[in-house]
Amino acid sequence: MAVITGVTCPVCGTFCDDIELIIENNVIVEARNACAMGAAKFLNYSAHRTKKPLIRKNGELVEVSMDEAVEKAAKILVDANYPLMYGWSNTSCEAIRTGLELGEEVGAVMDNTSTVCHGPSILSVQDVGIPSATLGQLRHRADLIIYWASNPWSAHPRHAERYTMFSDGRFEGSTWKSYLSRLRGVMSRKKIQRASNLVLKQDFCFTPQVEEGLPSSVHQKRRRTIVIDVRKTRTADAADCFFQVEPGTDYELLQALRVLVNDGELDVDEVAGIPIETLEQLADLLVNCKLGIIFFGLGLTMSKGKHRNIDAAINLTRDLNKRTKFLIMPMRGHYNVTGVNIVFTWQTGYPFAVDLSNGYPRYNPGETSAVDILSRDEADATMVIASDPVAHFPRAASKNIAKHPLIAIDPEVTPTTMLADVIIPPAFVGIEAEGTAYRMDHVPLPLKKVVEPPETCLSDQEILQRILQKVRELRRDMN
Amino acid sequence: MIILDPKRAFRFPIEAKNISPDIFAKKSSKEIAALQMWEGNRKGALGDLFNIKNDSGSPSEEFTIKIEGDASKLRNIGARMSMGHIVVDGDAGMHLGEDMSGGTITVAGNAGSWAGSKMKGGTIEIKGNAGDYIGAPYRGSTKGMNGGKIIIHGNAGYEVGCFMRNGLIQILGDVGLFAGIHMSNGTIFVQGNSEGRAGAQMINGKIVICGHTPVMPTFTIDSIKPKVKVDGEKIEGPFYRFIGDLADNGNGKLFVSKTKNPHLSPYEKYLE
Repeated sequence: MAVITGVTCPVCGTFCDDIELIIENNVIVEARNACAMGAAKFLNYSAHRTKKPLIRKNGELVEVSMDEAVEKAAKILVDANYPLMYGWSNTSCEAIRTGLELGEEVGAVMDNTSTVCHGPSILSVQDVGIPSATLGQLRHRADLIIYWASNPWSAHPRHAERYTMFSDGRFEGSTWKSYLSRLRGVMSRKKIQRASNLVLKQDFCFTPQVEEGLPSSVHQKRRRTIVIDVRKTRTADAADCFFQVEPGTDYELLQALRVLVNDGELDVDEVAGIPIETLEQLADLLVNCKLGIIFFGLGLTMSKGKHRNIDAAINLTRDLNKRTKFLIMPMRGHYNVTGVNIVFTWQTGYPFAVDLSNGYPRYNPGETSAVDILSRDEADATMVIASDPVAHFPRAASKNIAKHPLIAIDPEVTPTTMLADVIIPPAFVGIEAEGTAYRMDHVPLPLKKVVEPPETCLSDQEILQRILQKVRELRRDMN
Repeated sequence: MIILDPKRAFRFPIEAKNISPDIFAKKSSKEIAALQMWEGNRKGALGDLFNIKNDSGSPSEEFTIKIEGDASKLRNIGARMSMGHIVVDGDAGMHLGEDMSGGTITVAGNAGSWAGSKMKGGTIEIKGNAGDYIGAPYRGSTKGMNGGKIIIHGNAGYEVGCFMRNGLIQILGDVGLFAGIHMSNGTIFVQGNSEGRAGAQMINGKIVICGHTPVMPTFTIDSIKPKVKVDGEKIEGPFYRFIGDLADNGNGKLFVSKTKNPHLSPYEKYLE
């Protein structure tokens, strides 16, 4: 039995680096400190995997040697007039770098999962810039946390515990105890209600406490959390204050807050279903904190307005910085989606949707982004790595992926691999292969190799290197 | 007049910035056929894609290029042109007339997104619908359309006139969200309805909407005007005149038809 400490968790953008794994006979038997999502991956990653390369012959997927699969993949890419290479967010920066070299060699369009995730955030950052910090800063100093259209309780389970409301920082303490006492209060009320119902044999109800304006807890001198969302999530239950926004009106709300923060006045009585008086109190709260942070999620980037919502949110942060210190950060989904943006930018100058077909990088989401290219049926071959677009793209785009040759580099069985013509299963990065990945606040951390991969599985980087070598051989033969 | 007739239906995006009167002028048909064009990731020549006919009309006629058939995969047609005419018989692709400073482009069908991107002068007339980002700048740039005229007979998509600095965009049909976002000058005239958020984050300039539209809460009512002037022409109202975007300390003017927008009547209480 071996205990490996300081393992990074290859699941969500929080990218926890304090996992302890217990290994017995090359199998992970226990994952300590991991959340449910992390533990599920560490303990079950190998349950439904593909171990050998497959090629579709006469409609059937048949097992082949690695060399044959690599040659077939290289041939598809060399023959294509406008290939698309998509995915990348669940692999290491080293593999992404090799992938970009391959993309340049075959004149492909390179896109990553930000295109359907935080791509709009990147567009608005390019328009207006971003004031941000590392998560460590926020853990120690932030006294006002805002989760806007994001639900870390479900999507980034250890985010609150490690960096925000339940973390014990040097200058700001955890609000865990006040959350527990609130929870106990709710439970005792329920118990009394149940007992009263039994005794009185009729429905007994506490008169709900109606507070004027914001709850008193948000005015306390401690770390406070506000959740702004279209529905009451688990994160909202744990927060001091929750604002329910009418779906599709975040932009109006952000712009209205900007006016109020700048001491302006509005002609309307309510915005996004929230009365102006309440919004004025919220604006006061924002202005009077010492260090505030807005964590925003896909509820902003992928709802009506898309990158303009983020444009307004960043501008709100900028306005607040005239009065106090305020920061903003996107809640990135995959563990290395930040890394893929960084590697793309460092290699090509652009973070996603990079068209290398004319021999130099061009960038214009809407024109060179994966969903748009596939919806217009322009790509004549697709290579997917570490992602599952068929399950997540619009139907028209998924249909067009399947119409043309499809290469999948993925150890899992997914809708994309089921439609693929070539499947090359790699080793799991962060478990069976090492590398580097970037946390959501742009901090690079190492991915560890803790167990040996099956003999037939190479790492993503090695597979891409082999395809690149084969592509170069084929092109040399053609000339 | 040079007539370009596609040899086949195109499937991959084609980089067509060489299709411009400035580049074609003073070139023989042979030289035009040799101009470089990228189709997907393959480099080729214009002559591989089009049959080129040189139909020399009267010498007084301005230099004209006519594309017969579907040009929806052709990107950057008429980029940086400063004179002459381009006539597209069918649909035109993205970035039509990007950075143009003079001349005219007429499209019989629809046009893709970014038509008239960064244009400084000249006229683009689209008989069908247009995509998103009409007259908008390149991603990350704040230098939008700075002159000239774009007329769209059908509907237009999102973010028309984004970061606009000057010129006129006229839409006879409906317009999507965020018309005139971040605009600092110029005029957008919409004869149909707007999906909303018109003039968001605008600093200055004028937007006129004759149909139905929601108005952002960050606009304040100024007055009711019986008519409004667009490009020297008087448009009959009455119009609510809003000023905004207050969030950006803006002084943009948003004119919205009074008769088509009864839901805005509560604003009238601030005018009494």
